This record gives sequence, structure tokens and C-alpha cells, in this order.
Amino acid sequence: MLKYTIRRLLGALLSLFIIVSVIFVLLRFMPMEGFLGAGYEKMSEDTVQSLLAEKGLLDPIPVQLFHFYKNLFQGDLGTSWVYRAGYPISKILASKIPVSLRLGLLSQALAIAVGIPLGALMAHARGKIWDKLGTGFIVLVEALPAAIYHLFLQLYGTSLLSLPLVFSKSNPVSLLLPVISVSLGSIAGYALWMRRYMLDNMNMDYVKLAQAKGVSGRDIMMKHVFRNAFVPMAQFLPGSILTTIIGSIYVEHLYSIPGTGGLLIDVIQRQDNAMVQVLVLLYSAIGIAGMFLGDFFMGLLDPRIQLVKGENNR
Amino acid sequence: MGQKTDAAKNDTIKNDALQNDAVISVRDLNVKFHLRGQRLHALRGISLDIHQGESLAIVGESGSGKSVFIKNFIGLLDKNGWIDSGEIWFAGQDLAKLKDEKVWRKIRGGKIAMVMQDPMTSLNPLKTIGWQIAEALKLHQGLAGEAAKNKTAELLSDVGISLPETRMKQYPHEFSGGMRQRVVIAIALACNPEILICDEPTTALDVTIQAQILQLLKDLKEKHHLTTIYITHDLGVVANVADRIAVMYAGDVIEVGTCEEIFFQPKHPYTWSLLSSLPQLAAGEEELYCISGTPPNLFQTIQGDAFAPRNPWALQVDFLYRPPYFEVSPTHKAKTWLLDPRAPKIEPPAAIRRMMELGKQPQARAGRKESADAK
Repeated sequence: MLKYTIRRLLGALLSLFIIVSVIFVLLRFMPMEGFLGAGYEKMSEDTVQSLLAEKGLLDPIPVQLFHFYKNLFQGDLGTSWVYRAGYPISKILASKIPVSLRLGLLSQALAIAVGIPLGALMAHARGKIWDKLGTGFIVLVEALPAAIYHLFLQLYGTSLLSLPLVFSKSNPVSLLLPVISVSLGSIAGYALWMRRYMLDNMNMDYVKLAQAKGVSGRDIMMKHVFRNAFVPMAQFLPGSILTTIIGSIYVEHLYSIPGTGGLLIDVIQRQDNAMVQVLVLLYSAIGIAGMFLGDFFMGLLDPRIQLVKGENNR
Repeated sequence: MGQKTDAAKNDTIKNDALQNDAVISVRDLNVKFHLRGQRLHALRGISLDIHQGESLAIVGESGSGKSVFIKNFIGLLDKNGWIDSGEIWFAGQDLAKLKDEKVWRKIRGGKIAMVMQDPMTSLNPLKTIGWQIAEALKLHQGLAGEAAKNKTAELLSDVGISLPETRMKQYPHEFSGGMRQRVVIAIALACNPEILICDEPTTALDVTIQAQILQLLKDLKEKHHLTTIYITHDLGVVANVADRIAVMYAGDVIEVGTCEEIFFQPKHPYTWSLLSSLPQLAAGEEELYCISGTPPNLFQTIQGDAFAPRNPWALQVDFLYRPPYFEVSPTHKAKTWLLDPRAPKIEPPAAIRRMMELGKQPQARAGRKESADAK
């Protein structure tokens, strides 16, 4: 298992290296002015050249890449150029990520706690009232643009339940509406897939054998079907949880939450290429880690999945 | 009909059942299904007794209702199906009217256990086989912990799995198809049933394993004093294991008799056709017989004998009236007008005549099993 983990880690590092290098090189092919922010038009040609030279942007690209990685290994993510000019990127992220992560983890916890049992219940009551209500909910959430129900939640949450309109760090209740808003989509998604995997398994022969054995309907659901249906869920849950670091652009905006939501789009638009590089690195790393953890958990749950060839002779 | 006469009628059936030591007595069973907005008449008035300790084979082509028939015994008819009329007497109660899930759960497995067709898919892939056997032990024998573990090991060696202590900790995917079927059989035995239903137990297995599994089932039947019901379309399997054979066609048992009677004295033209199409019964250069046409559409009401349209020996009456059972011997009866005293004498096809000749020589009867095995 250790060997496998190391191999996967090395593979992940290689993927990251390729992704980041490609992004880095592509950004260097963009017009140089982008690195200087909005004010470059008023600068003289000499100032522009000296600023570029100062940032090392006139060096050959491989040299720039080498410097980037060298700094990275020393734990230096560089400084922002436009977003907050001259400010260390690590500090920007350190103030934003925990906020989004808290919101994301809470909403994922809610989504898992509600979505998965809901899907299981819907499968169990297939075609009956619970299934129909659940399907109605899923269709509503999946079909409506998220902006609409986010807005409605905020509108009625604040007016009817007099919950806080704006997020504040000192008041945990102010997180309630954002958490519900963010989790709705995941609840619908988890319920939809859980229902589907449950139904797939309910039609399996092993369920018929369990019935013929005299196992009660409830035990069949709990001990046989649920666990089998959960295996494919286990693959994408870690990824979903980790990617909450990226934040939710709309909800964070609605409640004035100072998180990472929309940060990548923002820095791309403002051509803060130093930040783009770092964010791409971070988000890719999260994506890769999510996939690895998904495979790992699936391997834990399903004895048929062997991550390592011939590790134990089954 | 008043309740009293109903009860009286039930009593006679019950007494009947007791007299001929039937464990299951089915009377005029009609099962229908809702399918694509139509009604399908899947079982059309089956009456059959299953005797204590016997080995009965139910044969018939796909769609003849074999599986639907036995699903009634464990109350696992598909949701769109229902028992329209008829009775299934088992242990003093009419299963056709039994609705209580709790009672059904005691019968399922505990009284009537089942071995399914495909061992590759009938075990839960995420649970060790020991767990799956222990689940049955707990439900029907109340065993847990060390006792359950010992019994599991005992059952596994019973079904011919070596190193049971190691094997019980393994998962289904670590077993071959034949081994998995042994595990499925061990699960059935763990329920400690009176009746074991084997639904095409060897269809998914290769030929050498088939013979082993059939032998195992035969041995276990003796050891555990089981009544076994085989469902199959493989007459080779039937010849191997059955004391008695019930031939099904279009949702009805059209001929039933001892194994010898069905193989050597078949009376129904469908049984003739079925046997004639066995490759091992064909002579030399003769072209292999094949039943023309398709089975009847059970969405429609069937007039007369269901087999008549495909029956080259059909009489006019076959198209008009449904034949009743004609008794050939106390153990042998068939639903064909050919057995009516007024019917013309009709010669069965050549392959059947050869079988009938063979049947007259006592030593050939012993040979029958080998010829079927050789398949």
C-alpha cells in the first residue's frame, strides 16, 4: 500500500508539474502589459522595460520557470502584481481559504447527512410519495438556475426568519443561510445518485437470494443494498469535499463572505498572472488529491478493488 | 359458495395432501401479471402435489412459467403479479392467501430454501461468505458468535469446500463459479429447510462442474432428508436427479409422471416433441427434430390445448376444448385428448418409439442415466 501511495504521489507531482508549467508558459505568451496592471499606458517605455526586468520577465522563459519552481520549493508563492500589488500571495490565500473552507465543509456535511439518506429513502419508497417529493426537489434544484433559489433563500430567510443578511465572523448564525444555499445543489446531486445506485443494487441477484434466505426488507436495505450503493459514491465524495476550498462565487457574493469564491476568475480578468499560477497549482493539486482519496476509499469499501496488484493473494 | 363449504373443501384437500404425503399441494393455481397495460395469464390452473422426500423436476421451455410457479412457494412473485385463484397448501396453511410478511420470512429459507441460477451474481460482493452463511444461521437457527462460526465451517466442508476456516473469511470474487454455487448451497442449508428449490442450478456452470454440483445436491438431499424441486430446461439434468418429472407448457403442467414414465412412456405430444429434439436420442443420419412455431401468447385467452397450433398430431378437438388430465397410471397423467378412448390411435415419432422399445429392456433403464450423463 505504501508503495502504491508513493507511486500515485509521484504521478500526481508529475501531473501538477505539467499543468503548472503549461499554464506558466502560456501566460508568458500573453501581452507583457498584463503584468503591469492598468496603469502601464501612462508609463514611459523605459519604465515599462525596467519594471519588466525587475520582475525578471525579460529573462528567457526556461529561466523564469526555474526561478518560479525554486521559489516554490522554498515555500515562497510570490507576490501579487495587480490584485493586491506587492502583497504576498500566501497571505492573501491564508485569509480567504479558511473562510470558504468552513462554509464548504459545513455545507458538505449537511449535504451528505441529508442527500444520501434522502436518496436511499427514495429508492426504498420507489414510486411512492417520498420518491415523488424527492424527485420534485431534485428537479427543482437541478433545473432552476442556482442564482434564483439562492436569492429566494436569502430573501425569505432574512425576512421571515430574521436571519442575518450579511456574514460576520463573530456570529455563527450568519453562516446558516449560506451553508444551506451551498448545500442544496449537493443534496440534490447526492440524492439523485444514491437513489440510482440503490435501485441498481436492488435489482441484483444477491438481493433476491437474501430475500429467499428470509432476510427482512429493512435488513436487506441496510446490510446489503446500502453498502453496495455507497461504493461508487465514495469515489467522488472526497473530491467534492476538497473542492469546496475553491468557494462559491455567487453565495459568497450574496452574503459578503470574504472567501475564495470567484477569486480565480477575478485574477484572470485582472491579469494578475502570478496569482493565476498559484491558484491553478492549488486547485489542480486539490483535484488530483480528491481523485486519489476517492480511489483509496473505494478500495477500502470494496474488497474486489485492489489498488495494488497481488498485494494480498485473493 | 358459503364459508362452511369452503372450509369443508379445504379440509378435503388437506386430507388428500396428508394421505399422499404431499408436502406441497397446489390446486388450480392461476397467476396473472400486469404487463404493458395488459393482463398476462402466466399460470393457467396448475394442480400438482409435491411428495415428502422426493426429487421433482419441473421442465419446460423459457416462458412456460416454471420460475413463476415456484416463486409462489416463497411468496416472491414479482410486484406486478398476483395469485388470481387457487390454493397452495403447505404445513397446514394456504400460501396463496398468506399475506403476513413475518410468517413468510419464517418460510423463506427456514422451510423452503432456494438455490439460484447464477452463482456469479447471487452473492453479495462486499460481504465475506462466512458472513453471508452466518446471516442465514442467525435468522433460522439462532446461532451467533463461536457457534455460528463452527457451524459455518461445518457447512462449508459439507458442500465440499476445503480449508473452511480460511475460506469463510474470503469474499465471493475469490471463488470460482462452481465454488460459489457450493457457497449458495451452503447458505440454503444454513437455513435448515425442509424443501430445497434449485432454479436451474447448473445452467451457468460448465459441464464438468455441472455433474459435481448435481452429485453434491443429491448427496445433501439424502443427508438432510430434503424434498428437492429442480427447475430446468435441461433434460440431461432431469434424467440425472429426478424421481418425478412435471412437464410445463404455456403455464400449465401438461404431463407428470415418474422419470421412467416420462422418458419411456411419454403421452403428450409436447413431451414427444421435447424428447425428440434431444440430440442424444437422434439416430445416425436422421435430421434432428425441432418444434415448429412459437409458444402461445399468454396475453390472449387460449382456446383448447395450448400446444395444438404447433402440434403435428393435433386432433380437431384440441383446437376447441382444453383436455383434462387422463390418468395413465397412478403416478402418470397427461393433458391430451389422444388419451381419450374415442381418440384415433396415433403413433409417436420414431425417436420416441425407440425410447419405448428401450424402456422394455430392463438393462437399458440403467443405461439411461449414463446416456444422459454423457451429454
